[in-house]
Amino acid sequence: MSTPTSEPPATDPRSLGSAGPDPQDVTAGRHAADAGSRRPAHTAVFGERRVGDEELLRVQDLAVDFPTDDGVVKAVRGVSYALHSGEVLGIVGESGSGKSVSSMAVMGLLPRNANISGTITFRGDDLLSMSAAARRSLRGRKIAMIFQDPMTALNPVHTIGSQLAEAVLSHELMPRRAATARAEEALAMVGIPQPRARLKNYPHEFSGGMRQRAIIAMAIINSPDVIIADEPTTALDVTVQTQILETLVEVKDQVGAAIVLITHDLGVVAGVAHRVLVMYAGKAVEMGSTDETYYRARMPYTAGLLGSIPAHDEVVGTRLRPIVGSPPSLIELPTGCSFSPRCPLATERCHSEEPALAGTDDPGHLAACHHWDQLAAVDDPSSFFRTESERAR
Amino acid sequence: MSAPPPVSAQAQGMTVVARTQAQLVRRRFFRHRAAMSSLLLLVLILLLAVTSIGVGPIPGWWDKPYTGIGPVVDEGRPTLSVVPTFLGGDGLRWGEHPFGQENQGIDYFSLTMRGTQISVMIAFIVGLLGTFIGVAIGALAGYFRGWTETILMRLTDVIIILPLLALVAVLGRVAGNQGPVVLAVVIALFTWTGLARIVRGEFLSLREKEFIEAARAVGTPGHRIIRKHILPNTVGVIIVSATLAIAGAVLLETALSFLGFGVQPPDTSLGRLVSDYETSFATRPWLFWWPGVFILSIALTVNFIGDGLRDAFDPRQNKVRN
Amino acid sequence: MVAFIARRLMISAVLLLVGTFLAYVLIALSGDPLQDLRQDTGPDRENRIAARTELLDLDTPVVLRYFLWLGGAAKCLVPFAGECDLGQSIRGQDVTFLLSGAIGATLRLILVATVMAVFVGVVVGIVTALRQYSRLDYSATLASFVFVSLPLFWFAVLLKQYIAIDVNDWLGDPVVTVGTAVAVGLVTGLAWGGVIGGSRQRTLVSFGIGFVGGAGLLLLLSATGWFDSPGIGPIGVAVMALASAVGLTALLSGFGYRNVLYAALVMAVIGIVANLSLGAVLFDPGWWTLLLLLLLTVAVGVGVGYAMGGLQRRQAVQAAVWTGVLTGFAVVVDRMLSAWDNYAEAVNGRVVPTFGSETPNYDGGFWGNLLDSTTHLALPTLALILVSVATYSRYTRASMLEVMNQDYVRTARSKGLNERTVIIRHAFRNGLIPITTLIAFDVAGLLGGAVVTETVFGWQGMGRLFTTALTEVDPNPAMAFFVVTGAAAVTLNMLADIAYAYLDPRIRVS
Ligand SMILES: Nc1ncnc2c1ncn2[C@@H]1O[C@H](COP(=O)(O)OP(=O)(O)O)[C@@H](O)[C@H]1O
Ligand code: SF4
Ligand SMILES: [Mg+2]
Repeated sequence: MSTPTSEPPATDPRSLGSAGPDPQDVTAGRHAADAGSRRPAHTAVFGERRVGDEELLRVQDLAVDFPTDDGVVKAVRGVSYALHSGEVLGIVGESGSGKSVSSMAVMGLLPRNANISGTITFRGDDLLSMSAAARRSLRGRKIAMIFQDPMTALNPVHTIGSQLAEAVLSHELMPRRAATARAEEALAMVGIPQPRARLKNYPHEFSGGMRQRAIIAMAIINSPDVIIADEPTTALDVTVQTQILETLVEVKDQVGAAIVLITHDLGVVAGVAHRVLVMYAGKAVEMGSTDETYYRARMPYTAGLLGSIPAHDEVVGTRLRPIVGSPPSLIELPTGCSFSPRCPLATERCHSEEPALAGTDDPGHLAACHHWDQLAAVDDPSSFFRTESERAR
Repeated sequence: MSAPPPVSAQAQGMTVVARTQAQLVRRRFFRHRAAMSSLLLLVLILLLAVTSIGVGPIPGWWDKPYTGIGPVVDEGRPTLSVVPTFLGGDGLRWGEHPFGQENQGIDYFSLTMRGTQISVMIAFIVGLLGTFIGVAIGALAGYFRGWTETILMRLTDVIIILPLLALVAVLGRVAGNQGPVVLAVVIALFTWTGLARIVRGEFLSLREKEFIEAARAVGTPGHRIIRKHILPNTVGVIIVSATLAIAGAVLLETALSFLGFGVQPPDTSLGRLVSDYETSFATRPWLFWWPGVFILSIALTVNFIGDGLRDAFDPRQNKVRN
Repeated sequence: MVAFIARRLMISAVLLLVGTFLAYVLIALSGDPLQDLRQDTGPDRENRIAARTELLDLDTPVVLRYFLWLGGAAKCLVPFAGECDLGQSIRGQDVTFLLSGAIGATLRLILVATVMAVFVGVVVGIVTALRQYSRLDYSATLASFVFVSLPLFWFAVLLKQYIAIDVNDWLGDPVVTVGTAVAVGLVTGLAWGGVIGGSRQRTLVSFGIGFVGGAGLLLLLSATGWFDSPGIGPIGVAVMALASAVGLTALLSGFGYRNVLYAALVMAVIGIVANLSLGAVLFDPGWWTLLLLLLLTVAVGVGVGYAMGGLQRRQAVQAAVWTGVLTGFAVVVDRMLSAWDNYAEAVNGRVVPTFGSETPNYDGGFWGNLLDSTTHLALPTLALILVSVATYSRYTRASMLEVMNQDYVRTARSKGLNERTVIIRHAFRNGLIPITTLIAFDVAGLLGGAVVTETVFGWQGMGRLFTTALTEVDPNPAMAFFVVTGAAAVTLNMLADIAYAYLDPRIRVS
């Protein structure tokens, strides 16, 4: 494997181990994000993008599979990342790529039949070997989660107020009234008008956007260190998506949390995340700072994803180019690179040998592709997904 | 890179999906062990009932009539034995009167088989006719909505609030005097309500689907939409309901006959046998056990088959995601 | 909400009207009330035919006759007017009179059966849902299939002809053999192991505890001659009270914050003391006294929970009130069993009756009569509830499983709620709401079943009234059966809808 790599600055304390092809480099991309020098003007910036030094969450070689009637579903096949205080890490991938499963593994909410391997540490404590009670006490207090569908994520028979207060009371012994006051505060923080009156409402009396705000309030009510937001805007109207994202990043800074932002939409993370991890068929296939990933994709799948969102500088009227084909079965994965059946660059080698997540031409920018150099050689990597006619233009 | 025209691709995909769907259902049903063994047992019971004493003019292999009075041998004790000799039993033996004899010496095996025939026949008629009525009413209500729906569904509600057994008992004796088939038809007039509700619900959700809208848009007549487009999509629900309705009908008819409001003499049914010989239980308990065990076996096997079908048609129902 | 209730009332009234009309026509079609007289060869045949025709308005066309009947029946809705007129039987008796003698026993049977069936069914459903695919779950599923497929009349006869006689014989000389004890121990052990679940080791330990507990208790009771004269006694009541306190605390709040436990324990102690000091009040009370005591218990429970609950007042009040109620229940059962000897003597030791709803001419005071009713209810209820238990448990299981899969349960877990709170606050409530609708349905089934059980067990209830009327082609009493059952079903349906709306805020608004 020939991987031309430029060395990351040796002084950077967070670059783990050698600078070479290191799939363990879970902090990949942070240098560039910190530098921020190459940030293009179009990137909207919500909140402050200050990233602390403290490592909160570290996921190492996480793998999850589910035994089912039809075979073993290998939902996650080795994902590693680290999350630092104040950071926003985007996890991107098509639906079914294992994003939710990997984050549910962090929360400890996977069904009992899931086989989990690897390590997950929070502030140095190994979550997977912790007692159930200790895990529960972290859940919602130190690590909170926001789910995709606000219409179903709240219990219809309890008031918003009691569902919020409950989150406080399950971790702290305090009078109900005090917990309700906290709930009111939290609702106010996420921008719900008349929070006191709203406490007595039931979920069905809230609109979708309001509910998602209430859920965000529920997540921040205990000032957690980490918030995992699993497609927090996917189920919402386009018009409110941005507002919710804005709110999320705002309150995150107010309570000083770091965020793992999961989405299938690269557009969502582009403006918010410091770093991006791209998942495909249960694996991390690319990881780097948002800008690097966005502008210098080194993995054809990422490039394809970028091609399928309306890009900033494209001529109006250009067609979107979705990646042809569908994701592979997680029970019987293709040999070699799992993306090879859909990849326009696939070669013989791709079909037989699985590429490892390794360094590329950017410092700390990792990609799992045998031919990333071909992407490096062109200006717009997504052009590989254009049809002949489009390319001719 | 030339893609096939989208329409044909879609059509292809759809037939493939449909075929595998039916195959899946069959495979899941065959894998359902309780349902498969129940099916086997039920077939055996039915074969036994039909072949032993024959049907109508066709004679069976069992020579003792279910009407013949005769001498009571050994107090009418059953001669059937299934306990092997090395366990202290009499070995496998069928004997003269396998199920024993009743008070007047009638062979109880013949009588039980006759009862089984009648009870099963009634149950099947009730199950199928009731299903037909239920589907028809549910379909009409669900498809046409408006007044049709209001009237049909209120009628359903009315029948549902009255105790079914009592309702059927009212006409049961009159009908029973006309023979088992009439009785079955009368019972079926009251047992369609649950299915009608279910079918209506399915229709309400289906009629909003795009392919129905499309069919309506091109002017397909209502009855054709119902038959060609909607019913095939509710077939799973209907088959499962029909099966469970048969199990329910066995129990309903036998209970009615037990109370004296069902099958009337000279006909008999499993329920009638229990009630006819209720008083001789202390001395001849087998007169009590045989019909009861047959009712239980038939109802149980049919219920298990229904459960297997439900799992086969809708495997999600019994699975838990979390 | 008022509009909602008004609308439901309207619908109920219409349903009942149409229902009674349907029943009336069907009954008219079912036979000729003059049939027996027509075959009569006596001298006054013509007169008697004329008299009965007059009595039953047989000259009037059916539809018109229905409205005449309805006019009389409508008066039943006027409270305390005493003008309720449901017509006459062919013998000229007022149907309301026949009904008043029959309705009590049947309603008691239905009420007890419903309460038992809902309780057992829901508990089994919840446990099997929480232990999905365990051996316990499979056994319960199998049992429910058998229950649903059992012919009620056959099972009732079986209970009457075999079980009752055997139990009575056994009670004559109640000695538990080691074999029986081992068998019972195995069952309790398996059940307990299945309920507790968890790792293999934990299951084995639970099995051991269940086995030793079940078999040991049985042998101990037998050795001490408990079955000769069963009872709970003050010590038994005390043990039950304290166990309720601890159990309810475990269920409602856990032992992390002790105030709830203390409140429940205080309530248990109050109950124990009351049991010892209320002898005079409880010697021969009436239902009103008991109701008053129940209210008092609830009030005291609220007070204790409120005063001692601290930061978990809500749970403390619940725990205290329920501890009080359960203790009270233990006291009532204890007092009732204290009448055992007297009662056993009165019935010559045949304590499990197989006929009727009460022992004729027996007066054992409040407790003796209660025991008498209870023993008479035992077999019919057992026979009647099997189908309902199966229905409730399957339905509850499915409903709970569905709810446990809901996103909001995942949200609750992600907040860090403990499993108890997740299940009790987020799964139970949502999962059990649909059960309210099922109850209304099931009662109609129970009423039909009551016809069968009353026949088998010789009760003089509504079912008997109905079958006799049908046999004798006596329209008005048969009609009375439909009026009462229809009214009960309609009312229950309406209450279920209202309860549903009350419990589910989404419906409340519309
Ligand atoms: N409990 C489970 N049992 C079996 N397969 C599962 C289970 N949960 C998730 N999966 C499978 O794991 C894969 C990854 O799912 P998920 O993480 O939800 O994807 P996404 O990236 O869209 O969030 C999917 O193919 C899904 O079907
Ligand atoms: S390894 Fe090959 S198939 Fe996989 S993404 Fe790279 S070029 Fe495509
Ligand atoms: Mg997901």
